[in-house]
Amino acid sequence: MHHSSLRKRVVAVFDRFKLSWIFTLLLLLKNTPAIFYPLWLLIVTDNSQHQSPNTLQDSSSEGEIRSKTWSANSVFVNLGSKRLSHGSRGGATDSEAFSMSHREINVEDARLVYVNDALKTNERFEFAGNSIRTAKYSVLSFLPRNLFEQFHRVAYIYFLIIAILNQLPQLAVFGRGASILPLSVVLLVTAVKDAYEDWRRHKSDRIENNRMSSVLVNDRFKQKKCKDIQVGEIIKFSADDTIPSDIVLLSTSDPTGVAYIQTINLDGESNLKTRYAKQETLSRTPEKDMINGIIKCEKPNRNIYGFHATMEIDGKHLSLGPSNIVLRGCVLKNTNWAIGVVVYAGRETKAMLNSSGAPSKRSRLETRMNREIILLSLFLVALCTAVSICAGVWLREHENELEFLQFYRKKDYSQPQVKNYNYSGLGVEVFFTFLMSVIVFQIMIPISLYISMELVRVGQAYFMIRDDKMYDEMSNSRFQCRALNINEDLGQIKYVFSDKTGTLTENKMEFKHASIFGVDYSGENIDSDGYFIQVNGHVWRPKMKVKVDKELLELSKIGNNSKDSKWIYDFFLSLAACNTIVPIVIDTSNPDEKLIDYQGESPDEQALVYAAAAYGFMLMERTSGHIVIDIQGERQRFNVLGMHEFDSDRKRMSVILGFPNGTVKVIVKGADTSMFTIIDKSVNSDVTRATETHLNSYSSIGLRTLVVGIRELSVPEFEHWQSAYETASTAVNGRVALLRKVAVNLETDLEIVGASAIEDRLQTGVPEAIESLRKADIKVWVLTGDKQETAISIGYSSRLLTSNMTQIVINCNTKMSCGKSLEDGLIMCTNLDVTPVALIIDGTSLVYILDSDLEEQLFQLASNCTVVLCCRVAPLQKAGIVALIKNRTDDMTLAIGDGANDVSMIQMADVGIGISGQEGRQAVMASDFAMGQFRFLVPLLLVHGHWNYQRMGYMILYNFYRNAVFVLVLFWYVLFTGFTLTTAITEWSSVLYSVLYTSVPTIVIAILDKDLSRRSLLAYPQLYGAGQRHESYNAKLFWLTIADTLWQSIVVFYVPLFAYWKTDIDGSSVGDLWTLAVVFLVNIHLAMDVVRWTWVSHASIWGSILVTCVCVVAIDVIPVLPGYWAIFELASKESFWICLLGIQIAAVVPRFGIKMYVQHCEPSDIQIAREAEKFGNLIEPTTQEIEMNSTRR
Amino acid sequence: MDQKNKTSKKPKNSKFSQQELPAWKPILTPGWVITSFITIGVLFIPTGLLALSASDNVVEIVDRYDEGCIPDSYSQKAESYIQNPNQNKTCVRTLRVPKKMVAPIFVYYQLEKFYQNHRRFVKSKSDKQLRDADAQDDTHNCFPEDYTADNKPIVPCGLIAWSLFNDTYKLSARGKAINIDKKGIAWKSDMEAKFGSNVYPKNFQKGTLIGGGKLDERIPLSEQEDLIVWMRTAALPTFRKLYGKINTDLESHETITAEVENNYNTYKFGGRKKLVLSTTTWIGGKNDFLGIAYISVGGLCLFIAINFILLYVFRPRRLGDPSYLSWNRQPIV
Repeated sequence: MHHSSLRKRVVAVFDRFKLSWIFTLLLLLKNTPAIFYPLWLLIVTDNSQHQSPNTLQDSSSEGEIRSKTWSANSVFVNLGSKRLSHGSRGGATDSEAFSMSHREINVEDARLVYVNDALKTNERFEFAGNSIRTAKYSVLSFLPRNLFEQFHRVAYIYFLIIAILNQLPQLAVFGRGASILPLSVVLLVTAVKDAYEDWRRHKSDRIENNRMSSVLVNDRFKQKKCKDIQVGEIIKFSADDTIPSDIVLLSTSDPTGVAYIQTINLDGESNLKTRYAKQETLSRTPEKDMINGIIKCEKPNRNIYGFHATMEIDGKHLSLGPSNIVLRGCVLKNTNWAIGVVVYAGRETKAMLNSSGAPSKRSRLETRMNREIILLSLFLVALCTAVSICAGVWLREHENELEFLQFYRKKDYSQPQVKNYNYSGLGVEVFFTFLMSVIVFQIMIPISLYISMELVRVGQAYFMIRDDKMYDEMSNSRFQCRALNINEDLGQIKYVFSDKTGTLTENKMEFKHASIFGVDYSGENIDSDGYFIQVNGHVWRPKMKVKVDKELLELSKIGNNSKDSKWIYDFFLSLAACNTIVPIVIDTSNPDEKLIDYQGESPDEQALVYAAAAYGFMLMERTSGHIVIDIQGERQRFNVLGMHEFDSDRKRMSVILGFPNGTVKVIVKGADTSMFTIIDKSVNSDVTRATETHLNSYSSIGLRTLVVGIRELSVPEFEHWQSAYETASTAVNGRVALLRKVAVNLETDLEIVGASAIEDRLQTGVPEAIESLRKADIKVWVLTGDKQETAISIGYSSRLLTSNMTQIVINCNTKMSCGKSLEDGLIMCTNLDVTPVALIIDGTSLVYILDSDLEEQLFQLASNCTVVLCCRVAPLQKAGIVALIKNRTDDMTLAIGDGANDVSMIQMADVGIGISGQEGRQAVMASDFAMGQFRFLVPLLLVHGHWNYQRMGYMILYNFYRNAVFVLVLFWYVLFTGFTLTTAITEWSSVLYSVLYTSVPTIVIAILDKDLSRRSLLAYPQLYGAGQRHESYNAKLFWLTIADTLWQSIVVFYVPLFAYWKTDIDGSSVGDLWTLAVVFLVNIHLAMDVVRWTWVSHASIWGSILVTCVCVVAIDVIPVLPGYWAIFELASKESFWICLLGIQIAAVVPRFGIKMYVQHCEPSDIQIAREAEKFGNLIEPTTQEIEMNSTRR
Repeated sequence: MDQKNKTSKKPKNSKFSQQELPAWKPILTPGWVITSFITIGVLFIPTGLLALSASDNVVEIVDRYDEGCIPDSYSQKAESYIQNPNQNKTCVRTLRVPKKMVAPIFVYYQLEKFYQNHRRFVKSKSDKQLRDADAQDDTHNCFPEDYTADNKPIVPCGLIAWSLFNDTYKLSARGKAINIDKKGIAWKSDMEAKFGSNVYPKNFQKGTLIGGGKLDERIPLSEQEDLIVWMRTAALPTFRKLYGKINTDLESHETITAEVENNYNTYKFGGRKKLVLSTTTWIGGKNDFLGIAYISVGGLCLFIAINFILLYVFRPRRLGDPSYLSWNRQPIV
């Protein structure tokens, strides 16, 4: 149970806000990914490939995608580190993977586990115990280790170097306290946060380590603390137990050795998976007859979907695979008990090895900002150089006087022999001056900006997560921010790459039509009461109701007596039998009624089994040896003699069923392309043809199709197969390949039974969302594994394709023809000026185009097209297409998907979004943001993305300005102090300036300010263009800001200078004036740019000014500081107030004037929309206009 | 259903979390822009005029005496003159009162090119030592004026105190001495809290190199007002310090004789010394800068306001006019 609580924390990191979000805000000063708890969750890999017989993937298309997930996973691991070939179709990788898993384990790479002999196991090797430690620190190691980690960040190093420089007596510009304060505050806050998090981890570790489990000690199972479990020990666990370490199954309560497990803590998938005990061990009870054997397995690694080992038991060599191992964190379900031997424990378990966070990306805005930061650094160096050169010249000119100058006093006369006092020659003095000026002007490089940005992103994430428009009722999931450093990228997206199944569609399959033996049953589906059966006085119903075709329902009741109804009988029997679904009976509130829940990995299979149940073929029970199907009230038991799992080469699965009457039949279900090659076309060729026609019409309306075939096996045939099957499944080496061969030999000359059509409905709001995105000038590309017809029909129903579009379809089998098609397409686009154009391209063509010289042509063509649809693409190709755009343009790309096959593109794109849907959580785990529905993309990009970008862009510029204006004021003063880096502003004010006086408003405004309301942004998606055109942050704005900064600093500095020239003003007083003037100014500057004044904005801006005044007064009432009482003396004179007011006005007039001029003469879209929002005279655009706008682009 | 609601993660629909807090959304319409510029202009020009006239009313007499107080025979070796302790350094200056000066009249000395804000200088004092008799050994910032050669702490220590300005002025008009009130020239706050009433000068100015004035060891620091004034270091290299106050009016065209004891050595670096007599008004001393600045800013704002009026008249734009939206402005192909 503990695992699940941890997981919850990870999944909804931001739920902690509920408790104390302000506290978290304060604590999140550090790099944001650090806030994620070490993830117990696993990084993505495939699940279909290795998880034994439960994965027949339904529709050909989906199957193909799934089967390619291996390649996706390799991308996941390698992405970024090496160049990938995006064109490969995955087949090669598949076979490689198979051969990999069947190579011999080298002795030196292996770990030997003596079953039930922990002593012997552990005497030769130092295997980890089962106690885990996710906490990073102990009491002793906390300080050094935490500091070490914190100083990994460049900003802190900069702080530190400056602080250290300041400690040298020669360079001491600030007092010790003042110079260390900013750094120590940051370090302290971060350390407190880390300590708090680590304390929580310690607590959870303790709970985890002290759980009890049942361990075999001296032939009896005894309770033992989880942390004391050792490798080699045999442990027993019962239903709903969480498995404490990685174990190899020995036996289970099921006589065939099946155990069902739930991996929700591991990868978030809630469906049940099957694991097997080996035949040789499953009948033994460890208490009575000793199991002695040796397991030779791989060294611990993080691949949770791979396991390779051999077991030597009773002199027999057995090979163990991923289906024999149960990993730490899984939960045993539907199985009374299971016994296994520990092979990996503690930190060496696969779950622990995988506990790492999502990879981080860097936002585009930040990258651009860093360029400007370099400019500012150069500017800083220039200022320091200027000061030190001037200081050198001054010293040289006054060289002879220095000795007697009252204010310099180079020589010390107090001792008999006269020495230089604090003077080491001109060169050294100049050098010191340079270093000192770096210390004084340090905030020119806005280090605080990085911290502010992180805080702002946390705040923005808070609002995105809390947005009830992005809450998905169905899955009860909020929006999730998994990466915190790319919020503002959401406001600049140009390309959206979307998966189809589960992203545009619901991935909730519904059985629609059937074509049975050449007869199309696609009449209107009606609601039925639902089929139910009586078992021991209880009513059993399927959990989901399916609409049925009335005619077919009648026919299905006839039974297999007549010739026509025989096919219908076979068809539904096939649907009920040929799958890997596990029926689970659940209680309802009504004690007389129970529901059957069909658990399986593939939603298509579930839909088919539910459909079969609705027509009276209800699957009631499945064990590894038999299934029980209730056929029209009559319970029948079928022996499952063998099952050939789905694989990507065959694109089909088959089951060998022993019928009650003794006949044996093979039932095959698979994709149309693969099925038609193995169907015996000599018989019933008209049926085959009719079926093909039906299939085409089904897929043209966007349905997913599967073909079912059947063949009765003769006795010799069956025996031949059986022996081959036995040999293959017990083979130690190359078992998978052998099994595949057996399957291919068996699956021939089938009689066609029929085809099913399943509807995958569009998610709500998808057409509208796509319309909005298109109006926002975002190009939406759909990349799907489905076949072309399905993809196009979904394209139409989602309004991605419209009837006025010209379609360019590229389906080629050679590189030559691909090149030609691309050329033709280009000519069509450019010369003939046909608009709009939709490009439809399939995976086979992409094989030839990607990673070849045709790529450029494809890019040209695609960028001329309004819509691009890629069908039948492999996961790697998806990433390849994203890379095609990403490498050639500066435009931001976003990939959205829900399945493991989308992981590669989610990782490749600038922004990756995972849909937490039906297909597991791999996509979510790899994504930067996760949400429940495709349509949330609209508020996410158009509203939050827009806001985030505007806010962040403004904040960066403002922070540049804020720090530079202060530095310049200091700089001007240095020119009047003999270039000696005296600051009139007290050192405390200098330090507090960016920490306290001006820090809060900019953060608050960057979190809360909205340039436009949600309504306007949604009504006018075109407003999104501001982000795409970089309107909030660009080089022009930067230089304008710098010019403005220069002017404002001149006003702030020189007005008091001239006003108090030749007076008896003292340094502290004028310093206070400068402090107040500059703090007022930067806050007023910010206030001028605030769009929406909420009470929080008021409080932060005016509050900051107030706090500054309080601080200045507080500093001036300390008698030992030089500025004692200065502020009161100063404020008692009118000239102070006159100066203060004059500075504010004179400084902001140019900015205000120019802003107003631009606002009037060259209003931005945002400005117009804002005015319209206020005065409400924007004419609602008609649909006609929308059409015209979208076509014009 | 109830149970489902309990576990629902649906975000609370608060105005804050939905970013819908009530807000004031000001939009600067042309009216507002013109009004604000005119307001600034209307406020600033009169204020500037007032400041200018106030500054104009200030009567100020400035006399530079550093050169004039060196006898011609020493003009090439001013330093040796000033450094000679046996030399009588009194010199007599004649000042004319241009306009009637109403009491109180402030007497300042003005130094130029004297960097009281020099880093080496500003830090060279001990605030603790100045206020606390027990802290006389707290001299760590004061080197080289921290201890005497025989290792006794100097009170007050440091370069600032050591370089105390020590020229003195005696004024007389028509043979009658004008009393310069030396009381109350320092900040009250400094006298009460910053300089201790039980701290007496010790070992001060006993070294080989004399920096400036000496202090009467019988008077506590809190009453050494000249020192207190000097130690409130000036912000800028050209500065004035209050020397005293004259509490009688000076009539117009009166001739004042100033007897200057020229002790302070600024000849090394060519720093000028000036004697200043000045009245004050609410704006302070004589300084036209603020007045001119206010008038200029005000004038500029009025000018901008006029330009905006013209702009709005000749190039009007309806607020929120959708035809200005970029996607509506694109020419239709």
